[in-house]
Amino acid sequence: MFSFQTIVENLPTLLGAARYTLLISVLGCAQGLILGALLCAAALSKRTALRRAAGLYVSFFRGVPLLIQLLVAYYLLPVVGINVPPLAAAVLTVGLCAAAYLSEVLRGSINAIPKGQAEAALAIGMTPRDLWVRVLLPQALKIGLPAIVNELILLVKASSLVTVVGIVEITRMSQSIASSTYRYLEIYLAAAFLYLAINLVIAAAGRLLERRLTV
Amino acid sequence: MSLEPTAPASAHLRNVDKFYGDFQALKNVTLDIPPGKVTCLIGPSGSGKSTLLRCINFLEEYDSGEVRIDDRLIGYETPGGRRMSGRRLREMRRDIGMVFQQFNLWPHMTALQNVAEGLERVRGLKRAEATERAREALAKVGLADKEANHPSRLSGGQQQRVAIARAIAMQPRIMLFDEPTSALDPELVGEVLAVMKQLAAEGMTMVVVTHEMGFAAHVADRVVFMERGELVAAGAPREIFQNPADQRLASFLQGYRERNSLDF
Ligand SMILES: Nc1ncnc2c1ncn2[C@@H]1O[C@H](COP(=O)(O)OP(=O)(O)OP(=O)(O)O)[C@@H](O)[C@H]1O
Ligand SMILES: [Mg+2]
Repeated sequence: MFSFQTIVENLPTLLGAARYTLLISVLGCAQGLILGALLCAAALSKRTALRRAAGLYVSFFRGVPLLIQLLVAYYLLPVVGINVPPLAAAVLTVGLCAAAYLSEVLRGSINAIPKGQAEAALAIGMTPRDLWVRVLLPQALKIGLPAIVNELILLVKASSLVTVVGIVEITRMSQSIASSTYRYLEIYLAAAFLYLAINLVIAAAGRLLERRLTV
Repeated sequence: MSLEPTAPASAHLRNVDKFYGDFQALKNVTLDIPPGKVTCLIGPSGSGKSTLLRCINFLEEYDSGEVRIDDRLIGYETPGGRRMSGRRLREMRRDIGMVFQQFNLWPHMTALQNVAEGLERVRGLKRAEATERAREALAKVGLADKEANHPSRLSGGQQQRVAIARAIAMQPRIMLFDEPTSALDPELVGEVLAVMKQLAAEGMTMVVVTHEMGFAAHVADRVVFMERGELVAAGAPREIFQNPADQRLASFLQGYRERNSLDF
């Protein structure tokens, strides 16, 4: 017998856990975008050392599974004397990882901007910083928006991995409720809908933004 | 009025060489751009006109020789020496306006924002003052009523006039134009040339790469013909167009006349 009752009873608990999913996704994404923009600037820099460093960073954080990164952060940080709460470590790691992917999205987008855009800025004497902030990044964000939205959605789903450092977000919470109530189907369906709802909101926001940026 | 005319600058190229890898795009070019005058650069495609023009604001790094704005060397600290600092280069570029073939307006900004951006960020004007001066510049190119339009909502001719407004708002002392009308539909060329004529009449120093021989013949004070990276001939429009002394120049003009079946 399918039991809606179970879902209704456990929804508040699941929603409570969804706070962590959201927190990690939102903070991770903000960190990923900021750091990703900086990484992208480094990757496109004239300085070879900066380009190399950015390349190494991207190779590492894209090449190692997030799960392993989380475990490394969780066990490594205390060893080197940094004691941060698991939640902070998780947000940080997710952000670092997202930055690697987002920097590549941004790099591709910036390469798609006609060279004349930067030349016009340089010709009036703009600083490299203003060139980036005022001319290149706004255009790159627009060009890369669909890909960025993709990354954010992946991020929301990947946030379930933070359970390995003991954070009880949607997936972990649904497992534990399911095993105590034996209502696996109901609870996992509820979890599925929660993820779906979050990601539909992100997708809708992306489309809205895309329309607003189109002039 | 805040858009007061500025003292026009001169530019001087001495023995300028420019290489792209093994290919030499500029060969020992020496040229003086007099202040307050219009100098037109003509020549076949690939002859190095854009390269020369872009050396003047160091968008293109020349490899040897000297390029000066008035008497200030641009790009290097000393001839053949170290690159000049970014700050000093930016300071010099503020005084050099540039207008591109493809306009290069920033598509995410309105016409007004395109013009005000440099005033705020580079000249450091307050928002209100920048806006006021940007409006003045737009009015000057006849686009006061289009300030809220994004570039995609402007015709090619209007976009190019906004680009000119963006340059003149900075109150440059010399302006560089790289084929400003080549991307335009023929019926839109006139409005852009009219704005350029007005600037010329106000005594702006202008260097114009152009295929508009009519403009060169009627507006230029001096016409410079380039071929294969070399400066081949220079003189008053009359000398260049009516009695071309150089054989290569004569055949270039011949070809142009045949293609356009025009007389000038
Ligand atoms: N970035 C570059 N890398 C390699 N070669 C280049 C580069 N830019 C220009 N060139 C070459 O240098 C030569 C001069 O180019 P330039 O653009 O100055 O010519 P132009 O006279 O402006 O031609 P057009 O009338 O077609 O604009 C050409 O042969 C061109 O192929
Ligand atoms: Mg050219």
